[in-house]
Amino acid sequence: MKHPWLKRLLSVHGLLFLFFVYAPIIIVVVYSFNSHPVNMMVWKDFTLDWYFSIFGFPTKLTEQTLYVESTDQLVSALKNSLLVAASTTTFATIVGTTTALAVYRHHFRLKPFYQGLLYMPMVMPDIVLGIALLVFFVNFSIKLGLMSIMIGHCTFLISYVFVVVSARLAGMDDTLEQASADLGAKPWTTFRRVTLPQILPGIVGGALLAFIISMDDLVITYFIAGVDSTTLPVFIYGMLRRGVKPEINAIATLMLAFSFVIASLGLYFRKRS
Amino acid sequence: MIEEALDYIAEVKDAVKRFLAPEGGAITALDGISLEIQQSQFVTLLGPSGCGKTTLLRAISGFEELDSGEVRIGGELVTGVPPYRRPVNTVFQNYALFPHLSVSGNIGYGLEVAGVPRKERDRRVGEALERVGLAGFDLRKPAQLSGGQQQRVALARAIINQPKLLLLDEPLSALDRNLRQSMQLELKSLQHDLGICFLFVTHDQEEALTMSDQVIVLNQGQIEQIGPPEAHYHQPATRFVAEFIGDGTLFSGEIQNTIENPILVTKDGLSIAVGVGPKVGDKATLIIRPEQLNIAPENPDDSMVILDAVLEQSVFQGATRRYVCQLANGTSISAAPTESGDQAFSRVKPGEPVRLAYRRSAPHVIIET
Repeated sequence: MKHPWLKRLLSVHGLLFLFFVYAPIIIVVVYSFNSHPVNMMVWKDFTLDWYFSIFGFPTKLTEQTLYVESTDQLVSALKNSLLVAASTTTFATIVGTTTALAVYRHHFRLKPFYQGLLYMPMVMPDIVLGIALLVFFVNFSIKLGLMSIMIGHCTFLISYVFVVVSARLAGMDDTLEQASADLGAKPWTTFRRVTLPQILPGIVGGALLAFIISMDDLVITYFIAGVDSTTLPVFIYGMLRRGVKPEINAIATLMLAFSFVIASLGLYFRKRS
Repeated sequence: MIEEALDYIAEVKDAVKRFLAPEGGAITALDGISLEIQQSQFVTLLGPSGCGKTTLLRAISGFEELDSGEVRIGGELVTGVPPYRRPVNTVFQNYALFPHLSVSGNIGYGLEVAGVPRKERDRRVGEALERVGLAGFDLRKPAQLSGGQQQRVALARAIINQPKLLLLDEPLSALDRNLRQSMQLELKSLQHDLGICFLFVTHDQEEALTMSDQVIVLNQGQIEQIGPPEAHYHQPATRFVAEFIGDGTLFSGEIQNTIENPILVTKDGLSIAVGVGPKVGDKATLIIRPEQLNIAPENPDDSMVILDAVLEQSVFQGATRRYVCQLANGTSISAAPTESGDQAFSRVKPGEPVRLAYRRSAPHVIIET
């Protein structure tokens, strides 16, 4: 790294990489403000109409240019997504955290094997998991709907929380719990006052990860969603089949902003620990 | 018997603890250890790593259950009693300060979980901070303190509950030499002021000699010797203790000649006169400490023993100088004479012969049974 031109080359390499990753996303954001109704790739004017139409405000747009027949559909898909993400995140965080604690504390036969089983749903192809869940639900006559989506999401979200919390536990100094016990704290007090504050960043991180993955999941949800219970990604996918239109850019931009907020929260909590 | 038991703050009887070795088989950490610890004493468990000293400490604090044998604290059997119900507190080797709590949060933790009201707690935390010289640091987080300050917080946190027995698990090993030496003296005076019993674990013999009223030397899960530090140094009970504590040269062999004038004959044929005590035919080990050796005077009297050697090198050590010599049979022996003896040594150059002398009665003889 002595030569200045080598350093410059590295900077160029870095910038090219960032461009490669972010250019498509920036284009989506830019064109979500494009007023050209038919060909979204041709820039016409700046407009916020697509955003207005998503939220159901009156716009100058004609019926033909719109794809969302009614804002109600979109809002109901979004509501479903939020409901599924919130409930599965809560459940997966509790189960994932307690599982991680149990595996951390106890030594038992075939422990690495069970840990492997817990990692599996993360690396399993989504399509396989989707089909497997569908077959399972049909076989056991479980009605496809919001409930089946929630059960399906929990199966792999628990793994994510487990992995994140386990990593945090592995980094924890286990003499802290001993010090607490030594000073007279009963096990529950030790957990509340020492263990929990130590692993809280891991739990919050795992929960945020689970929330984003649940909000984002298309493949698995596509298989196990019922007719009436559409989540946001499935709804957008449905829209896309009728062509890429400017409204989708606006929805994508909003989702991006939402993910950005969640990721920032995650970073904030990590930094605070 | 009962009255006697009450005098002891802690008793360990026939303690046995085995661990499964990772490569299979069992490691015996404690091999039938029995000891009593008296009130308000500074007791040190000394031994090399793996001798079982930390296991013994953890058996007393409750983090390790014995395979057999029993532990009594304040006369009460504590088998099966969890650590949080035992009237002992521990200063951990890595301090184990709670990183998310402030200094006063850490120190007051024991009082808080015991339900001591806030006002009382604050007062006692303030006192403890004062005592360890950290007044004004109460709002800092452990990460903002130096190693020595963290050490003091750990100490304050452990003594605030006024335990019957304070356990210290090599707490000074992470500090640099100067700080360690001043902390040794501080710990000693703290123990004296508090009047509670300290049980201190270390592998550092110097640390043990500096601080302790009683030293317990452990080796391979067994007790080698219990006694005041002076006894370990001047009258080591076993060859292990003699080698582990202090410097010196050991000669093992058989006692020959007469009871009045015993001579130790080593395997390689070296004959050394020893003090009166051992019987003819005893297997014995003689320990010659460096400070017992001097250059032989012109006309040595009968109380002196002379060893012919060659000076190898002289090593400057600050207060004293150490002269490393070699005996005829190749054994290396060191002398660390006092100031007057040093002058005699300084006239000898490395490679030249030197006549070493010591008082016959000075070196200790261990008689092996």
